[in-house]
Amino acid sequence: MLFQIAWRNIWRNKVRSLVVIGSVLIGVWSILFIVAFSSAMVGGYVKNAIQNETSHYQLHHPNFVEDKDVKFNIDNPAAVLAKVSETKSVKAATLRTVVNGMVRSSRGARGIIIRGIDPAQESLVTGFDSKLIEGKYFTEGRKNEIIISQKIAEKLKLKLRKKVVLQFQDLNKDIVAGAFRIVGIYKTGNTIFDESMVAVKRMDLNELMAKEGIAHEVAVLLDKKEDLVPTGNALKVSFPNLLVENYREISPETQLYESQIDISATIFTTIFMLALIFGIINTMLMAVLERNRELGMLMAVGMNKGKVFTMIVLETLLLGIIAAPIGLFLGWATIQYFGGQGIDLGAFSASMEQFGLSTKIYTELSTKYYWSLAISVLITALLGSLYPAWKAIGLRPVEAIRKI
Amino acid sequence: MTVIKASNLTKTYNPDKIPVRALRGVDLAIEKGEFTAIVGPSGSGKTTLLNIIGGLDRPTAGEVEVGGKDISQLSDNQLIDFRKDNIGFVFQSYNLIPVLTAKENVEFVMVLQNRPKAERDKRAESLLTAVGIAEKMDKRPSELSGGQQQRVAVARALASKPAFILADEPTANLDSESTAGLLDMMATMNKEENITFVFSTHDQRVIDRARRVVTLVDGKIVSDERR
Repeated sequence: MLFQIAWRNIWRNKVRSLVVIGSVLIGVWSILFIVAFSSAMVGGYVKNAIQNETSHYQLHHPNFVEDKDVKFNIDNPAAVLAKVSETKSVKAATLRTVVNGMVRSSRGARGIIIRGIDPAQESLVTGFDSKLIEGKYFTEGRKNEIIISQKIAEKLKLKLRKKVVLQFQDLNKDIVAGAFRIVGIYKTGNTIFDESMVAVKRMDLNELMAKEGIAHEVAVLLDKKEDLVPTGNALKVSFPNLLVENYREISPETQLYESQIDISATIFTTIFMLALIFGIINTMLMAVLERNRELGMLMAVGMNKGKVFTMIVLETLLLGIIAAPIGLFLGWATIQYFGGQGIDLGAFSASMEQFGLSTKIYTELSTKYYWSLAISVLITALLGSLYPAWKAIGLRPVEAIRKI
Repeated sequence: MTVIKASNLTKTYNPDKIPVRALRGVDLAIEKGEFTAIVGPSGSGKTTLLNIIGGLDRPTAGEVEVGGKDISQLSDNQLIDFRKDNIGFVFQSYNLIPVLTAKENVEFVMVLQNRPKAERDKRAESLLTAVGIAEKMDKRPSELSGGQQQRVAVARALASKPAFILADEPTANLDSESTAGLLDMMATMNKEENITFVFSTHDQRVIDRARRVVTLVDGKIVSDERR
C-alpha cells in the first residue's frame, strides 16, 4: 500500500509533478545529445587523425622520430611488414618512405613531407584513395606520379597533369630532385595535414634515394581500437629494435581530446545533477510542507518514521523512474537520427578544418553512458529526497495536526 | 476494567519562557465500555489531556497507563507502535488519506499491522457496513460529504481493534443530521460491542448523549458526572 500511496501522491498535484518529470526528461534528453555531439566531434578528430596521419600504430627506427634523417630507415622492411601483418588484431599494414623536402612549381615552392607509399596497401590502411576530389589514384606501371592536396594546389597554383619538382636529400646526403606529374588532388578535411603532405609511389621515391626497398615507417591499422594495448605489447615484443608508438604517443593531442570526452561528459552530467537535486529538494519539500497535517495524522495512527521516510523517498524515485526512461529514449532516438543523417556544420567548416575537425558530425554514444546517466538520475533523486524525507519524519504528530 | 489511568498529570508549555500550565494535576480513570465526554471552555486543557492519553504528547509530570502499561516513558517509535495497536483516533477535520478510497482508508491501519489481505478486506467491508456507508466504499474522501467522511474515520479508528477511541470534537464540522447519525452509530457500537469512546467536545448534542461527563476548567477536573 505504501507504493500505492506514493504513486497516487505524485498525481495529487499533476502540474507540479509534470514540471519535475518534464525537467528531468528534457535534462536527460539534452545531456545525452550534448555529450553525444561533443564525443562525436572529438571522436571524429581522433578518427581523422588515425585514418589520415597516425594509424593505430607506427614503427620507426628509434632515432627517426627525433631526427627525420633519411638514414634512419628500417632494416629489412619487407620482413617487418610480413611479421606485423601476421600479428593478431592487425587489419592492415603498409610501408612508407618518408622524407622532408621541397615541392616546386613554376609559381613557387614550399617545404613538404613527401610520403612514398605502396598504393594498394596504403588504401587498406588509410583509405587514401577515397580522399581524392579530383583526378585518379596511382596507376600501376606509370612512373613519377604525385598526388597533392587541394591546399597545396591552391597555394602553388597547380592543376591536374601539371608537373612539379620534388627536391630532398638522399642517403648519401646529396640533394636530389625529380619531376612528378600531378594525377590526383586530395582533401582530408584537416588543413594542417593537407598543407604539409604530398604522396608519391614508394618505389619512385626510393629510386631517387638511390636505394631500393627502403622504408622509414610501418603504419598499422587494427580491427578495433579496443585491441590497442595488447597489440602494442605484442609488437614491442616482436620488434625490440624498433620504436613502436600508438596514435596517442605519436599525436599527444588525440589523447588529450579523448580524455576530454569523459571529462566533459562528467562535467555536463554533474552540472545537470546539481540542478536536478535542487529542483527535487524544492519540489519535495513543498510537497512535504503542504502535507504536514496529513503526515502528522499518518504518524498519529501508527505509521512509523521508517515508513514515512520510505514513502517520501519512493515518491521522489518514482518521478525519476517515470522521467528518465522517456528522456533516455528521446535522447537515443535523437542520437540515432543524427547518427545517420549527420549534423552539417558547413558554415563553420573553414575554422573547423583548421583544427582537423569534421564538418559533418555523426552523433554516437556508448551504451555505458546511457546506463550511467540512468543510474545518476536515480541516485540524484534518492539524494534529493533525503532532506524532505528527513523533514517529514522530524514532524511531531501533535504539532503537525495541531490537535487530535 | 480500567482502560486508561492518568495520575497527577501536569503539562506546562514554554516552561523556560512564559509558562502556560495546561494541566494541573489531573487524575482520571476510564473504564472499559464507557462513553465519556470531556468538556470545558476553550483553553481548559481538553485537547492537551486527550493528546497525552492518546500518546501524542508527553506530560511534564505524572503518569498515563493504557491497559496497565505506562506510556509516558516510551520513545517516539514505541509510541507510534503503541498507538497503532491500542488507540483509535477520530479527528475533528476527518483527516482521511485523500488518495485512498474509503475502504483503503479503513484498511490502512491493518496494513501497518501486517494483517492478511483477506482479513483486511472482510473487516473493512464489515466496518463500513456498520457505519452505514458500505455503498461508498470505493469513493475517495473528496467524493464524500463531511458526515460520510467522519463515518469512514470512525471505521478506520475501529479497524485496528483498539482498546479505546479518542475523538476530538468529532461533530464540530457536521450539520445536525450528520451529527445525530454519527452519534447514533457510535452509541450503538458502544452499547452493542462495548467499545470505549472518549470525546472532547463543546457540542451539547454530544454531551447530552454521553454517559459520563468530565468537566475541565483551567487544567483541573472540576466535576466528573456519571449518568
